[in-house]
Amino acid sequence: MKKFLAYLLTVIMVLSMVSFASASELAGTYDITVWVAAEVVDLTLAQIEEFNQTNEFGIVFNATVEPVSEADAATQMITDVEAGGDLFCFAQDQFARLVQAGALAKLGVKAGETVSAANAPVVVSAATVGDTLYAYPLTADNGYFMYYDKSVVSEDHIDSLEAIIADCEAAEKYFAFEMNTSAWYLASFFFATGCESTWETDAEGKFVSVKDTFNSPEGLIAVKGMKKLVDSPFHLSSSSGAEFSSGAAVVVTGTWDFMTVQGILGDNMGVADLPSFEVDGQIYHLGSFNGCKLMGVKPQVDPARAAALHQLAQYLTGEKCQAERFAERAWGPSNLNVQASEAVQANAGLVALNAQAPYSIPQGNIHGSWWDIAKVIGDDVKAATDDAGLQAALDNYQAKIADLFKLDTNALLFVGAWNGWNNADDTDTYYFKDNSLTLDVPESDYMGGRIVNPGDWGTDKGFAQVVTGVEYIKDLGADNPDNNIVFAEAGNYTVTINGTEISIVKN
Amino acid sequence: MSQAKLLDNKPARHHMGLRTSRLIGNSAIYAFLIIISIIWLIPFVCIVLQSFRVENTHQVGYIIPKKWGFDNYVNLFQTDFPRWYMNTFISALVTAALQTVIVLCMSYTLSRFRFKLRKPLMRLMLILGMFPGMLTMIILYRVLKDLGMTQANSVPGLILVYVASSGMGYYVSKGFFDTIPKSLDEAARVDGATRFQVLKKIILPLSKPIVIYTILTAFMGPWGDFVFARYIAFGTSAGMNVAVGLYNWLNKDQISKCYTMFCAGGVLVAVPVTVLFMCLQRYYVEGVTGGAVKG
Amino acid sequence: MKQYTDLEYLKLSRGQKLLYKIASFFCSIPQKIKGLFVGLWNLIKNAGKAIGSEAADIWTTFRDGDWKTKLSFFIMGFGNLARGQILRGLLFLLFEVVFIGYMVIAGGYWLSMLPSLGKVGPTEEYNLIYDAYVTTYNDNSFKILLYGVLTIFFIIAFIYTWRVNVKQNKMAEKILKSGKQLRSGKEDLRSLVDDQFHKTLLALPLTGIIVFTVLPIVFMILVAFTNYDGTHDGYYNNLFTWVGLDNFNTMLSWKVGTGAGTQSYAATFGEVLSWTLIWAFFATFTNYFLGMFVAMAINKRGINLKKLWRTILVLTIAIPQFISLLYVSKMFAKNGIVNGFLMSMGWIDQALPFWEDPTWARITVILINIWIGIPYLMLITTGILMNIPQDLYESARIDGANAWQQYTKITLPYMLFVTGPYLLTSFTGNMNNFNVIYLLTGGAPTNPAASSAAGTVGYTDLLITWLFKITTGAESQYYLASVVGILVFIVVALISLVVYNVLPSIKNEEDFQ
Repeated sequence: MKKFLAYLLTVIMVLSMVSFASASELAGTYDITVWVAAEVVDLTLAQIEEFNQTNEFGIVFNATVEPVSEADAATQMITDVEAGGDLFCFAQDQFARLVQAGALAKLGVKAGETVSAANAPVVVSAATVGDTLYAYPLTADNGYFMYYDKSVVSEDHIDSLEAIIADCEAAEKYFAFEMNTSAWYLASFFFATGCESTWETDAEGKFVSVKDTFNSPEGLIAVKGMKKLVDSPFHLSSSSGAEFSSGAAVVVTGTWDFMTVQGILGDNMGVADLPSFEVDGQIYHLGSFNGCKLMGVKPQVDPARAAALHQLAQYLTGEKCQAERFAERAWGPSNLNVQASEAVQANAGLVALNAQAPYSIPQGNIHGSWWDIAKVIGDDVKAATDDAGLQAALDNYQAKIADLFKLDTNALLFVGAWNGWNNADDTDTYYFKDNSLTLDVPESDYMGGRIVNPGDWGTDKGFAQVVTGVEYIKDLGADNPDNNIVFAEAGNYTVTINGTEISIVKN
Repeated sequence: MSQAKLLDNKPARHHMGLRTSRLIGNSAIYAFLIIISIIWLIPFVCIVLQSFRVENTHQVGYIIPKKWGFDNYVNLFQTDFPRWYMNTFISALVTAALQTVIVLCMSYTLSRFRFKLRKPLMRLMLILGMFPGMLTMIILYRVLKDLGMTQANSVPGLILVYVASSGMGYYVSKGFFDTIPKSLDEAARVDGATRFQVLKKIILPLSKPIVIYTILTAFMGPWGDFVFARYIAFGTSAGMNVAVGLYNWLNKDQISKCYTMFCAGGVLVAVPVTVLFMCLQRYYVEGVTGGAVKG
Repeated sequence: MKQYTDLEYLKLSRGQKLLYKIASFFCSIPQKIKGLFVGLWNLIKNAGKAIGSEAADIWTTFRDGDWKTKLSFFIMGFGNLARGQILRGLLFLLFEVVFIGYMVIAGGYWLSMLPSLGKVGPTEEYNLIYDAYVTTYNDNSFKILLYGVLTIFFIIAFIYTWRVNVKQNKMAEKILKSGKQLRSGKEDLRSLVDDQFHKTLLALPLTGIIVFTVLPIVFMILVAFTNYDGTHDGYYNNLFTWVGLDNFNTMLSWKVGTGAGTQSYAATFGEVLSWTLIWAFFATFTNYFLGMFVAMAINKRGINLKKLWRTILVLTIAIPQFISLLYVSKMFAKNGIVNGFLMSMGWIDQALPFWEDPTWARITVILINIWIGIPYLMLITTGILMNIPQDLYESARIDGANAWQQYTKITLPYMLFVTGPYLLTSFTGNMNNFNVIYLLTGGAPTNPAASSAAGTVGYTDLLITWLFKITTGAESQYYLASVVGILVFIVVALISLVVYNVLPSIKNEEDFQ
């Protein structure tokens, strides 16, 4: 109610064109701590100084800028929000954890509008939960591609995973692609075959459902491809550009390693999009995550201080500062204007990233535990000796995903067939939580599905068990040997399981 | 000893056989010692060599630098390293002093006094020691935070935590005190000395090895603490100890720029501890021997 | 099992004796459990009796005491002050004032909140004027739990002090009645360096231990009964609250996992525990015997440069482990210098999976741990070896014993006897050896079957590194870590109990004096 009132008042205010806080109300000196990556500490200090000089509000920041790794910031913030930086930068995969931990202050209305307009939509949606922005986009280059040593891997071979592996083995050089320790990299194979893991949250950032198709015929193809790589004696599970000086001929990593690799390989350095692999005569181009880095504002007690900090965050992630960071450190911008600039378009690292872009998937808001669950696949695939072992790895993975929602053992997921059964691209999977789930059934030829146990496609409960809401589903009689639940019309339904009975309510 | 002499005076033919077999035995031992010395030194030497490597700053697959120089050491002083080093040095020094006092108080009391709660106390401490200390870090952090001893003020906080629980590590020095005959105390007590005087005039002069052992172990502790100290510093560079600061350089975004500097830092950290160890090795052995006997 | 008489027992060989002791320990477990319950019952009975007699004593003190004593029941130290023991009286009074002040100002609040662990969580509101969201923080479950426990500690201390105060009044009355003098403040002070010297010596260490060890441990045990985790941190997002035994149910039940591949926590715990025990066993004994061997080699008569050899080994102690172990870990990587060396020598044609294969990884960490441990063991055993009376060896040599016989008949038994307690502490120490595992492998390679909800568990993970992963993992499940911590404690305590009952040299503390 309170929230609704707040929105209402906001709308009224915007309508009546009353300006927000006037300049003088924000004026003051604030002692703040800012956490940024080590390499931009000095730059950030200078940028804050410039903000102090130029801002129209009379805000002066006494800033302490600390080098805190973007991979580390979330863990620190979650341990103790109060002691954390007032502004802090983090990699996108930690966004969900931070929102849940209450470590991110929502953006105000005006800031939200400005940020949404100025930055790439993919990046904006990465910082959004429900309809609210929780953080400021900082970069849009958090993806990976392939660096290779031209003297080892011939340029004709860079399109084929198999050929690269053969080249590496022949030269006794390593192919570094982080497979046992990072879900971020190994998801590449799954994206190649069209699998996805898309997570839904409610307005508070709590995960309510997931559409995950890693455990599918396509997923099996993906792990078969992965098996080719991890079984090679010259595969190395690493994503460090420095491996080129320790016997690597190929490293899959991102723009941040550009200088290091160039320093080691010199003219022999090649960059390219990821290769393709072949399973059963079909070619699949490796996919990738396309993520970003964000800057968050710590929740504040004092409104003036909060507003002042948001102004600074907006400035630091704004066009000018992003351009400066690109110029000094080659950080790929998320700001549309900077992205369009010639220098950015010509940057070699970003060019390779762009070559990979058509095969990449925007990194959405993913459950923090997914990274732990999925990274196990690499070791599991390596240990597998046959296709059954590979399938077991996927079953294992899916069981753990289901476990995340603490599902009970008899009613687990609803597989919707509206996009076609099992022919995979788009089998829609919904997870029950507390015995209930909400389905969006689209208009399609067959608006049916079944309730199954994870890792088992046989129907656990279906049409015969529906007690309440029979009016919403079709009775197909003998045409329904699998006991599927087939909806009569498209719409939004809530399915609840009560012991052995199912009730359906139309919303 | 007299028997040893006897042995040496045995007839000469025995002597010859003994000598050759001993010679063979000793050469085998020398070979063994040389081999393990090499194995033990390899990582140490490698780290030192990396610290003088200046052709690039990341990890490499070879050992011998292609270009030598002191750049890494020079660069160290443009970072916060001196600050971290001072933080650690101060906390190590103060910790060593206070911890020695506490441990000696504790172990001396438990060795020499017989009071009602002695056994339960020792049992309690044994039980407390069985809890994984890792768990209590979060709470110690919060307590220190309430006391204002985190982040930039982490040095007193760290000292407090290192010292406060050190009473639990009384085993070795209690074992040492147990080996000092009680009759010494009793004689002095009969002469009218107070307990305090007994400790000061009689026990302490005999306890040099264990005091030095305690100081040495207490001094070494803070240099390697990269888990708890990290909590306490909480992202504030000024409050980090050398382990946390260096450890942060191993983060993915830093390692390729800071690796050789990391090695140089490691070498500098090793210096004080090595020097102390070389000078005081004898006491360390004596102390730990006396102590481990009773552990 | 067969019971031996004393005479039969003495005839047994050393090994048989040990086996007999271990067997009889396990046979006596049912007896011991029974004994435990009897003991507990007696304890309760005795405690009841003690409380009864204490209460009776307090009552008679009050009834029979003079007005000074009676008033002391309410104003602590009054009796001391009135009878001229100013120092004691003032201390008592001060303590009471501080206690009452604390309870009024803060203690009462913490105590009253303890059952609920807080009522109002943080609220976020949109501030129209500033166009910004502002958060108001309210109750803090973490502090309530912490200071609640502290307050209970304080109350116990107060009750104890009050009781002492009452007792002292009674004593003082008795002493004065018998015509003797009470101790003056000066005498009190003097006794603190003399017959009460142990109290002086222990005051500081024990305070430290209570505040920085006991209090946190009590706190962490209590956390096992709450839902404290990353999303219920008690202040910044949601309050946490008591959940009873839920966490233990989760941890110990075998039916958490929903699919074939998801192990329950209990199964994962079992797997990690068994590796932890295997690790601790090998880590302790490989180090022990090899360390002793190295020490003997260096100590051997006729070996020169003793100090040099020792110093070389000790250098590994001087470099902090986080530097040396990380380097060593890299050395054994697939493209590390060890594999590089072996390949360049042509001994292998592809890299050995030091860290990739579970069995290889486990063996490698044990081997590298030898590298870490030998210097310490070498130092410890050096001194003890020198302490072994030389005439034992001389007479053995005269009897024609060879080196191996001398070792098994003299050195080893002596060492085992003397260092028995050390072996035990180093075994439990190795069970909790965080550094070696964390820095070398970080637990890798991962164990796909292990339950993932508690972080990724690897084949080389010890309980302690797993625990660390739980607290720093995606969900920061402190409550679960706390349950694991309690289970670790139980395991370690059980092992210690067994060993204590088998090893002779620990029990007989006075033997060596």
